[in-house]
Amino acid sequence: MLCASKALRCALRELPGGGASRAGTGRVGGGQSESVRDVQFSIRDYFTFASTFENGNVQLWDIRRPDRCERMFTAHNGPVFCCDWHPEDRGWLATGGRDKMVKVWDMTTHRAKEVHCVQTIASVARVKWRPECRHHLATCSMMVDHNIYVWDVRRPFVPAAMFEEHRDVTTGIAWRHPHDPSFLLSGSKDSTLCQHLFRDASQPVERANPEGLCYGLFGDLAFAAKESLVATESGRKPYTGDRRHPIFFKRKLDPAEPFSGLASSALSVFEMEPGSSSMSWFVDTAERYALAGRPLAELCDHNAKVARDLGRNQVAQTWTMLRIIYCSPGLVPTTNLNHSVGKGSSCGLPLMNSFNLKDMAPGLGSETRLDRSKGDARSDTVLLDSSATLITNEDNEETEGSDVPADYLLGDVEGEDDELYLLDPEHAHSEEPEYVLPQEAFPLRHEIVDTPPGPEHLQDKADSPHVSGNEADAASLVPVDSSFSLISVSHALYDSRLPPDFFSALVCDMLRFYAEQGDVQMAVSVLIVLGERVRKDIDEQTQEHWYTSYIDLLQRFCLWNVSNQVVKLSTSRAISCLNQASTTLHVNCSHCKRPMSSRGWVCDRCHHCASMCAVCHHVVKGLFVWCQGCSHGGHLQHIMKWLEGSSHCPAGCGHLCEYS
Amino acid sequence: MFVARSIAADHKDLIHDVSFDFHGRRMATCSSDQSVKVWDKSESGDWHCTASWKTHSGSVWRVTWAHPEFGQVLASCSFDRTAAVWEEIVGESNDKLRGQSHWVKRTTLVDSRTSVTDVKFAPKHMGLMLATCSADGIVRIYEAPDVMNLSQWSLQHEISCKLSCSCISWNPSSSRAHSPMIAVGSDDSSPNAMAKVQIFEYNENTRKYAKAETLLTVTDPVHDIAFAPNLGRSFHILAIATKDVRIFTLKPVRKELTSSGGPTKFEIHIVAQFDNHNSQVWRVSWNITGTVLASSGDDGCVRLWKANYMDNWKCTGILKGNGSPVNGSSQQGNSNPSLGSNIPNLQNSLNGSSAGRYFFPPLDSPRAGSRWSSYAQLLPPPPPPPPPLIEHSCDADTASLQYPHPRRRSLSRPLNPLPENEGV
Repeated sequence: MLCASKALRCALRELPGGGASRAGTGRVGGGQSESVRDVQFSIRDYFTFASTFENGNVQLWDIRRPDRCERMFTAHNGPVFCCDWHPEDRGWLATGGRDKMVKVWDMTTHRAKEVHCVQTIASVARVKWRPECRHHLATCSMMVDHNIYVWDVRRPFVPAAMFEEHRDVTTGIAWRHPHDPSFLLSGSKDSTLCQHLFRDASQPVERANPEGLCYGLFGDLAFAAKESLVATESGRKPYTGDRRHPIFFKRKLDPAEPFSGLASSALSVFEMEPGSSSMSWFVDTAERYALAGRPLAELCDHNAKVARDLGRNQVAQTWTMLRIIYCSPGLVPTTNLNHSVGKGSSCGLPLMNSFNLKDMAPGLGSETRLDRSKGDARSDTVLLDSSATLITNEDNEETEGSDVPADYLLGDVEGEDDELYLLDPEHAHSEEPEYVLPQEAFPLRHEIVDTPPGPEHLQDKADSPHVSGNEADAASLVPVDSSFSLISVSHALYDSRLPPDFFSALVCDMLRFYAEQGDVQMAVSVLIVLGERVRKDIDEQTQEHWYTSYIDLLQRFCLWNVSNQVVKLSTSRAISCLNQASTTLHVNCSHCKRPMSSRGWVCDRCHHCASMCAVCHHVVKGLFVWCQGCSHGGHLQHIMKWLEGSSHCPAGCGHLCEYS
Repeated sequence: MFVARSIAADHKDLIHDVSFDFHGRRMATCSSDQSVKVWDKSESGDWHCTASWKTHSGSVWRVTWAHPEFGQVLASCSFDRTAAVWEEIVGESNDKLRGQSHWVKRTTLVDSRTSVTDVKFAPKHMGLMLATCSADGIVRIYEAPDVMNLSQWSLQHEISCKLSCSCISWNPSSSRAHSPMIAVGSDDSSPNAMAKVQIFEYNENTRKYAKAETLLTVTDPVHDIAFAPNLGRSFHILAIATKDVRIFTLKPVRKELTSSGGPTKFEIHIVAQFDNHNSQVWRVSWNITGTVLASSGDDGCVRLWKANYMDNWKCTGILKGNGSPVNGSSQQGNSNPSLGSNIPNLQNSLNGSSAGRYFFPPLDSPRAGSRWSSYAQLLPPPPPPPPPLIEHSCDADTASLQYPHPRRRSLSRPLNPLPENEGV
């Protein structure tokens, strides 16, 4: 019998078979400065025993040599609470410590070698090898954890079995019979003694989730799955598992063991082909949509074109219809006139984006005249005339010349359109190879439901072949699909009769439909573009919800500029304050290098104007770029131009400015 | 269309969860080997492990990202009864040079007495909050009152679910009309047929979470649950992974009609239920717009589900887990033995036009770091098919519904993506 004292000694008494009478007592180990936590006789060697210490050491003793230990090694970080020799003749010693680890040491080699290490969730107070199962051991903790775990040392992270009966800490465990692996006895501070049947143990392995799955932002899927799950059907052995742990697969497995070897997972990411990313339409649309700053009709046309370029025909159709509903000249008297004259004036231009400028000019001219004659009783008839004669250029020559304001308006719109035309071919050119998007449209069925049935019939009767033929002539950039021209032509036929309010309910329904379909982008874009026209019909809370959702989505894609534009354009107070919070800019005066305390451009201390452009010596309002080294700067354009030619600071301070 | 990129994760045990961050450029994995790894996407699209560290002293069940507004923050939960919050440290260090980043533990949440099975950050508009659920059936909601101080979390709510919880999901809606809501799933496998999904809603008046709904029809163990991104919808969509995939919609009944102050009443409809996995379903995940659901099951496959304009949900794709070729018919399981014979018909119906059937060639050497392990390619006249990795059809009727769309045929592009790219 071995007993160890918490004092500085380790004591040994030997009671060989004869009983207490021949008790030979010996003392082993002198001058140990640490208290002993556990001692265990070796099963393999009659004279050998192991002792574990508070300081993390394990010592191996031969009882015949009480003066010094045979071997000593540091097993744990912190006290080693327990140890247990493997019941079979293997020379394996399991030790458990406060560092929550169970380590298995091979003592047969010259230096004790760590062969396994099991991580438990609490400090290990007891460890006992399971009989008849080479790799199993049971542990319990005296700390927070009340459960008893049985581990397979080859799978050191997940317990093979778990007994959860005790309500207080387990103080001791023992396998009931040295050759029966199924019965485990345990005592606990909850005043119970339990006999556990291994069969009843819960198996955390079985409940553990073998798969992980996550949808990425761009439609890519990350998928991790247990290799056996994904490999079974292909009839192949898990590759990595074999390679990493070759021994275990060769060894004959104990049939009593609940699992064989280690499990590992295969991780793969299913990515969309570059360019065909399922969300690139979103990014493109967000970047290219025009939401403000132009007449409504242009915005609608532009956005329709963007949508069509991206193969989203349904959305394109919606924009076109919106333009027709809200921009037909018949509405001019009824629409709220706080929109710019420009908006009203360019209304009624059918298919702006398919017109070249020559065609547009007369159209505009006639429209402007219409504008001026608004309020006239005959405006409706003029309207019909104008749209009928639009295509013939010579007819409109005199209208263009006759109106003074028309020139102004014309110039204005023309300028913007130039830009539009400059941009668009470029886009079309660069994006055609890049974005291979499906031309497949969403089924149009519901859209038809959205449009009022009456005009639809009218539209069918409209002499579409005639007009679409003309359009084909005029279309220089975009092939117009026939349904588009059908609808766009029909406007003159019904718009003159129906006020826009007639549609607002439908438009709101349409926005809701898009939102429910997960296309909040459309809902918000239309909301911004139409502005007052629909805003009153949708409750504030819903609008806010759309805005926040859309902004969140934009930020996910790092579309900060777009998101800021949306914030700026929103009318909801909760949204528009979003970009005003926590955006303080601290500025130092470029002359005296002191912080600018007051608002404005003049420094309080040196009374100089603080934000002069170093190139043109004018005050910079708007985009200002500084050199962080010498604090000189100026208009972004000027500085860029300057630094193309020179690497020195334009202020002449001699600093080598870096612009990146 | 999908390309499988296999990544040598080098986790030493099962991976239990994968999670993308807000911007989709980082990925975190957690495993039973007690570690969490963070992967960053390089310019070329490869995933590089930039951090790997031991997080817990037990299996790590879940890992999740906080909104980047709060920093680069991860939360993990584990079998060791704790959840932990981690923050990436930005700074000059030697680690940076080796492409490694450093993560420090900001807090450990130790309130649970049993395994913490799920952890989820609340939607951003609620502030820095996170919810955990544990095997003893308690959902805990913590809040960091100071978002700059990630080491201080106070336990705000404890909700008792009576059943061992396995998964939680916050309702992501940012609408003021929707009060904070959390759905809890249970994997309790005891034979009693109790409802396994409960939905709790925050009540402004009592300032407590109260049970709003119980999905009575779900009585089998639930392994995952996910609200779809809301994106301005007036209703909520909830996907559940149990013995099959189920999709519910929850339509709030207008407040005026219900007694004010009480929990919101919902009209609950089951809109889809699929047992195509033929086995336990482990995970469900929504795409960013909440229009496509991915599910993974014990069959090792990922299936994609998408609703058409009639709100009929259909399978739009099947992805095989390890990117390796599989036998198409065996992968279908017994329920759809006709798939193999179905393929020629499909081709015929397409009139020989190339409508996009993609096959993956056999892998040469499946794992050698993160790289393209297989390329999708189009094999114009389909030979006796090498088994398809990605099926664009799920079963016969789906196929016939999806393919012979006239517009598709006229615009036959060889590499058309899945129909969901319309994204509406």
